[in-house]
Amino acid sequence: MKLILQSVLYCCLLSTVAHCVELEVNPELKKRLSVWMESRLRRHLNSMSAERVSESEQFVTPEEIRDTLIPHSSNGISIRTKRSKNPVNQSRRPGCSLGTCTVHDLAHRLHQLNNKFKIGSAPIDKISPQGYGRRRRSVPARRVTLGLAQGRLRPVWSNTVSQVHKLEALLLLTRT
Amino acid sequence: MTDWSMDVIGWRWIMALVLCTPNEVFVEASLEVNNTQQQQYPINVYSDLGLTRNKIITAQFECYQKIMKGDGPKSQDSGSMCNSTWDGWLCWEDTNAGLIVEQHCPDYFQDFDPSEMVAKICTDSGSWFLHPDSNRTWTNYTRCNAHTKEGRMTAMNLLYLALIGHGLSVTSLLISLGIFFYFKSLSCQRITLHKNLFFSFVLNSMITIISLTAVANNQELVQRNPTSCKVSQFIHLYLFGCNYFWMLCEGIYLHTLIVVAVFAEKQHLMWYYLLGWGFPLIPACIHAIARSYYYNDNCWISSNTSLLYIIHGPICAALLVNLFFLLNIVRVLITKLKVTHQAESSLYMKAVRATLILIPLLGIQFVLLPYKPEGRVSSEIYDYIMHILMHYQGLLVATIFCFFNGEVQGVLRRNWNQHRIQFGSGLGSHQDAMRSASYTASSITEVQGCYSIDSHSEHMNGTKDGTKDGATLRRPS
Repeated sequence: MKLILQSVLYCCLLSTVAHCVELEVNPELKKRLSVWMESRLRRHLNSMSAERVSESEQFVTPEEIRDTLIPHSSNGISIRTKRSKNPVNQSRRPGCSLGTCTVHDLAHRLHQLNNKFKIGSAPIDKISPQGYGRRRRSVPARRVTLGLAQGRLRPVWSNTVSQVHKLEALLLLTRT
Repeated sequence: MTDWSMDVIGWRWIMALVLCTPNEVFVEASLEVNNTQQQQYPINVYSDLGLTRNKIITAQFECYQKIMKGDGPKSQDSGSMCNSTWDGWLCWEDTNAGLIVEQHCPDYFQDFDPSEMVAKICTDSGSWFLHPDSNRTWTNYTRCNAHTKEGRMTAMNLLYLALIGHGLSVTSLLISLGIFFYFKSLSCQRITLHKNLFFSFVLNSMITIISLTAVANNQELVQRNPTSCKVSQFIHLYLFGCNYFWMLCEGIYLHTLIVVAVFAEKQHLMWYYLLGWGFPLIPACIHAIARSYYYNDNCWISSNTSLLYIIHGPICAALLVNLFFLLNIVRVLITKLKVTHQAESSLYMKAVRATLILIPLLGIQFVLLPYKPEGRVSSEIYDYIMHILMHYQGLLVATIFCFFNGEVQGVLRRNWNQHRIQFGSGLGSHQDAMRSASYTASSITEVQGCYSIDSHSEHMNGTKDGTKDGATLRRPS
């Protein structure tokens, strides 16, 4: 009887360490873990090399483009865009997923939901079949660049065919 | 005291109302604005609000840079690959044919839920999916705003749940603290620890209410990004840590008392103070420094950074240690009870009761549900459970360890009877006064001195003689 009781009591403890034990026992999970590790490593290397390249030969830093755009924003408050280094690369978002972190999650969620500096609702036509993803594969047929027109930054559409045009477009962007 | 508490509750409600009304009004207003905008200028949707457009343009720019950098080496092996592309909102990297790529939704719009996923299909032929309706390349953004309304409602529900919970906790904890400080006969080491724990609960609740209402809901403040809101975030994290480390202190104290120290007279409280109020400064400071160097967002409000583990790692460790203490205490209790009691069913009932009582004191509930699940519904349920457990813990602890505590009830009853004798002797009958006097005498004997063992273990033992219980409990196993 005592044994049963003790086993029940230690059950809670076991359940908390169950993850590690499972990984060691289950070969399928082990395989998944190794695949995951590999992908993590690859992603890490990618971001490392990307960072290295960006440090050495970045044409324009995000700060610069931000600076050129800030006078353009109509509300007077100077806006700092959210700092996120590689928003695209995250398949699983970083952050705390422990039980005690829910307070910060809630605060962050409230902040995001009530952010009145963002547009309230996404334009429906851009989500619809007529919407985004329409433009191009790797080389766009048409490209938007920012040009100075009538004292304001205006998007200018231009036809691009080759890499040279791409570079040109980027350099043009730097100048403005 | 009650007047004051009513005041607090009233104030909270007013605050909640004030906070909730302008938001709703604003949401409606902004929706209207958007609709008119879309009707009049269907192309220039982003004209007025700068942040969204800035974000999109910055993302686009970064994407083009990435594509340009990646073009050289990757063009060689692009046999059956979808090439990297910018789709208007998000950047997509080179993808092998036949795969579905997913990313989190961008946070450009209020109704986009960043925890949902965007999907883009790379077909077997190595080209991006064309929507059959329009025959255009298409990314599936429909999931981003499919559940936003529910998400917003959940968030608001959780906010009200948190505010009410913390309001109730603060009132009940302050009443308990008042009782502990007013009745000097109660003071002893265990109660001193309780006082500190309750105090950390109160401070934590207050700073949580402030950060949820005044910082998270105040966009102007976050945009201005003053140092004061970072300081308040630092204090919030520090007090959050303090709360859990005082739970650890309670665990250590009980464990030392019941399991380890057979002959210990008094424990040195200095170490408890150091652990409870001093130690949480270390992770809070490390977090602040790391945050200012590596993820210095406005008001440090984002929870999308792993730097939060600096705070929550030690907390989790403390809770795990507490779980071990709880199991050990219950084990010892059962072995002791087995010696003194013969009925097995009542023994298990008592063990279960002891466990249930100690769980909120030691914060074990957070260890039993350690990780947030991934799915939408399950994570929502998890959120509700966690928020209820977290925000009402103070109320629960105050109720169990002060209002339901035998000693406290005894002291209160004695005091109440004295009060009645003093002021109500003219009104009450002679017999009544006699009865209450005898009652007082008995309760004095009951309460005299400070029991070295938590009063609940006394109740578990079924007798009222605390010293005897202490002796039986302290007998080495």
